[in-house]
Amino acid sequence: MKNYIGLGLIIFSINLNVNVCAQDTLWINSGEWYQSQDTMSVLRFNSTAIFDTSNVAISTDVDSPLILTVINTDIEPHNFDIYGMWSFGVEILPSDTTTFEIPPLAMGTYRYLSSDQRGVYLGLSGVLKVGLNMPNQFHWNLSDCMPERMDSISSGGELLDEEPYVPRYFSINSYTYPHTALDANGYVTMGLGDTCTISIVNSGFMDHVLHFHGFHVEYLSTTMQTSRLGWIKDTIPLKEGEGVTLLLIANQEGVYPVHNHNLIAVTNSGFYPGGMITLINITP
Amino acid sequence: MRVCITLLFVASLFCLNALNSTAQTFAPPPPLFFTGMDGILISDGGMEIPIWGYGLSSNGYITAPGPLLEYETGDEVNLAFVNNSAESHTIHLHGLDVDQANDGVPTTSFIVIQDEVGAYEFTASEPGTFLYHCHVTTTLHLTMGMYGMILVRHPGGVLFEGGPAYYSDAPLLFSDLEIATNLDPVQSYPFHDIRPDYFMVNGRSGSQLETGSSGIPGESGTIISCPNGESIALRLGSMAYTLTKLIIPSELDAICYMSDGRPVPTPFGVEELDIYPGERFTILISPDAEYDGTIEVQSWDMVNREYVHSNFVRVRDAALNIGDPQIQEPLSLSISPNPSSAFINVNSRDGRSIEAWTIYNSSGNIIDKGFSNYHSMRIDISILESGSYILESINGDIKSRARFVR
Repeated sequence: MKNYIGLGLIIFSINLNVNVCAQDTLWINSGEWYQSQDTMSVLRFNSTAIFDTSNVAISTDVDSPLILTVINTDIEPHNFDIYGMWSFGVEILPSDTTTFEIPPLAMGTYRYLSSDQRGVYLGLSGVLKVGLNMPNQFHWNLSDCMPERMDSISSGGELLDEEPYVPRYFSINSYTYPHTALDANGYVTMGLGDTCTISIVNSGFMDHVLHFHGFHVEYLSTTMQTSRLGWIKDTIPLKEGEGVTLLLIANQEGVYPVHNHNLIAVTNSGFYPGGMITLINITP
Repeated sequence: MRVCITLLFVASLFCLNALNSTAQTFAPPPPLFFTGMDGILISDGGMEIPIWGYGLSSNGYITAPGPLLEYETGDEVNLAFVNNSAESHTIHLHGLDVDQANDGVPTTSFIVIQDEVGAYEFTASEPGTFLYHCHVTTTLHLTMGMYGMILVRHPGGVLFEGGPAYYSDAPLLFSDLEIATNLDPVQSYPFHDIRPDYFMVNGRSGSQLETGSSGIPGESGTIISCPNGESIALRLGSMAYTLTKLIIPSELDAICYMSDGRPVPTPFGVEELDIYPGERFTILISPDAEYDGTIEVQSWDMVNREYVHSNFVRVRDAALNIGDPQIQEPLSLSISPNPSSAFINVNSRDGRSIEAWTIYNSSGNIIDKGFSNYHSMRIDISILESGSYILESINGDIKSRARFVR
């Protein structure tokens, strides 16, 4: 019976992760992101030409390059970087299609993004998973945003340096609590005794710190705090741009929150609870 | 449901006591804790800042942070509190990996409303530095002061099984608050823009770190006193809204052995350490003779990465001390269970026998004393009133002290 449940979970996971493989295509799509009091114009990397509010996660193997085709449907040019690792140095023009090869990377989780100002502020940033083969895989793309800044950028305005950054929304895969429970890529569901990897990137403008209730997790990879490899912790800081892979062993049943312990980030436009909270649900 | 059961249990005990006073010996301890929303923290500048928090029932007042909770690896803990305040509260046992029922999260565990008692059961299975805090409207209740530190010590005077030996603990809990929020929590919305402007180590700031006077009765400053050649375990934890950055002088030979209640695979020397909200570290320091210096505790704004404040924690050779008390207690004695209502087991961790012992109350008066010739013993404390006590053991001219709660 347990095997059937496990198989079901694997199929469920494959269907919902919609990961692209070592050779695939990304669309840069524009759309709107609705959050309580605000409607924000955003950009996303999607796996089809249809806008989806979450950036798609990319998967590839350790030893092979990733051949990626990017189709830019936005009105402005963009680029493509692996944060702190690699940059495709040519602009992808509006309505243009570009194919490039990302060299092999070590096992782990990386942030991919369009590092131009419009791309960064409007949310072109996602999770790249390299060499992760565990059947149960989840990913959390952390982001923070200030709608006023996004409005300014989307309308072609300039940011004023003297304006303080006051983020009002904090999201995981573009979901904010309580809607994070609807995100099959982020809401961790497993059977007792199962294990999974959780790939996390910080796509925000500030550091974040996630606290696990009920569990400790092991660092399998990190792009910035490499001295922490192998550490077993319940509170995981993520510096801006960092990618981290964690191993979670489901050693007790129940429903447990995972949330940002910088507690301004568990709100939606100031209302508690909200923002960066998701759940781990371990079934018998 | 758990709250109801606890209340019924407490009520049934009351009835039993009314019929037969000797039954009191077998009763579980009354709630160790209470929560309140009427506390005052006196700032370094003398300002009275309203706080919410936890307090020991035996003391009758709340503090920010709440009382330090101390256990030994393997202890089976029943931690109860009575909510004496108008808002509901919980205790989240941060990092102890308790089960869902005891997790302290209102939506997945249980909530304790006014005048009710909540009880949490868990096994202190791993040694290390942990935290506790209320998980109701967490963004507000934490900045108001509802948090504290938990130490789980490993037997034998070592940090963990196979880990290094050390002399004593120095718990340092970093936190902050936004004064305007504490002055008017009802109008504190929105919560996404809480900007702390008062920064604390163990609830003290600035000159209070040496002089005390934070409004906590009977408390003095936070000075880490190091006997020559001994290692002190800095028990570091953050309940702040800011990033805490420690600047540790190289003369302290600081080595990090643990984080979040687990040993790190490779201990490492540390002179700078970032501690994010909710993180914990255990670091051993071994200052040379006649050392007298400070650890700088910087607070950095998490949103805009701006430096905002520094506190300084004094570290000095114990031989230079001209007064007491200091914050740490010699670890040559271990006491368990602690708190306890019936008895305590006392062990001399350095193997020396305990020739004589004395129990002092919080006023410094001798409450009980006796003789022994063993390195471990059991003392009946059931006749003591609820409160905090100091046990002093004597071996020749060597005195050791440890604190326990009845």
